[in-house]
Amino acid sequence: MPLDHDHLNAQLAPPLGRRGLERLDFLLLLIESIDLNGSQSMMWTLQQLGLDHQFPNCVELWKRRCHNPLRKTSRRGSLKTTDSDSLILILCTMAERLYPQLRQLLSNKEPDFISKERWKLLNNRILELIQERMNVRRGAIQRILKSENSINFIKQLVLTLALSAGPGGFERLRASLLDPTP
Amino acid sequence: MNNLKFRYDQTSVRLEIEGLPDSSIGQDKTKLGIVSSWRLDLVGSPQLEGRREHLQSLIDVVYPYVRYRLSGISKSFVDKKNQIKITSSIFGTKLLLTSSQANTDPLTIELDDAELSDLLFCLDSFRHDPRVEIDFSPPPFTPLPRSELLERIPFYKRFGASLFGITCIAVASMLFLTFYDEPQYQNTPSPEQKIKKSL
Repeated sequence: MPLDHDHLNAQLAPPLGRRGLERLDFLLLLIESIDLNGSQSMMWTLQQLGLDHQFPNCVELWKRRCHNPLRKTSRRGSLKTTDSDSLILILCTMAERLYPQLRQLLSNKEPDFISKERWKLLNNRILELIQERMNVRRGAIQRILKSENSINFIKQLVLTLALSAGPGGFERLRASLLDPTP
Repeated sequence: MNNLKFRYDQTSVRLEIEGLPDSSIGQDKTKLGIVSSWRLDLVGSPQLEGRREHLQSLIDVVYPYVRYRLSGISKSFVDKKNQIKITSSIFGTKLLLTSSQANTDPLTIELDDAELSDLLFCLDSFRHDPRVEIDFSPPPFTPLPRSELLERIPFYKRFGASLFGITCIAVASMLFLTFYDEPQYQNTPSPEQKIKKSL
């Protein structure tokens, strides 16, 4: 079921906190790890959702994503609510498109060998992207890059993306990203 | 009678809703206004059936549970009539269903995360179907309170640093008090006394 544009006209929530911005960017990074043409697909999704006036090119999208304080080149200040809502909408639409792959990863009924191989591939891809784009001197990134932590971290991201797919995913994900920083 | 039957499918879940339009309020023939029955098929589990209230109860426990799982917290939820309980398990998620009929044993259904997301997708598709004109809203989604989020940080991580600091200060103070030698002050003669002595 397609996500309608009315979500953006819904009551505007407060801007995302630091933890929310981090999670949002990591979820977009996960999409890029699952879909090898992820960044291009995001641009197509933007056009499909009619958000191309807000994000006319990849650079504008990248600038919004750079509000993640864990990035190598991060931007100060908070992300506007309209921008964060658009990014959440892209995430939910992409999650719906990638749902079969997310489902395969989460299923316990898949053969063990294949499942392990899938997780290994995804783990390698996302960790490469994290090393490439995030500030590896930050303690939070170093913790993620440790193998014992990375699996749980990526599993939680995959589950978040799978549970955000579907027509009601937008509200769920937005509420979860608005959680206060513990 | 305009019986309507809607079906929502995902890989491991099928939700079928039967009902009819509410003609008393002049509803369109294609719109669902009254739910007469519903059936839920979960692969590898017995078929679930019920009335409208049971479906609302299922929605009331599944959505808050998912909301907490999105924040990385596993919390159990029970519906108002104590008929449906959802809780996390080693396998993923456990649904405990108690039948309203007498002499029927409670039913336990284990779902992995893929099946849980399938169930949620089906419920979402039903709730957002423009042909369904009945309100099946779950409790509103809100950010979780800080106290609930703190629970997922282990005790030793939350208070570890402060406890370590307090312990260090206490140990250092004890050591200082144990091994502290009080200085022995001797009365040193003043220069005048020294001169008097020498004379």
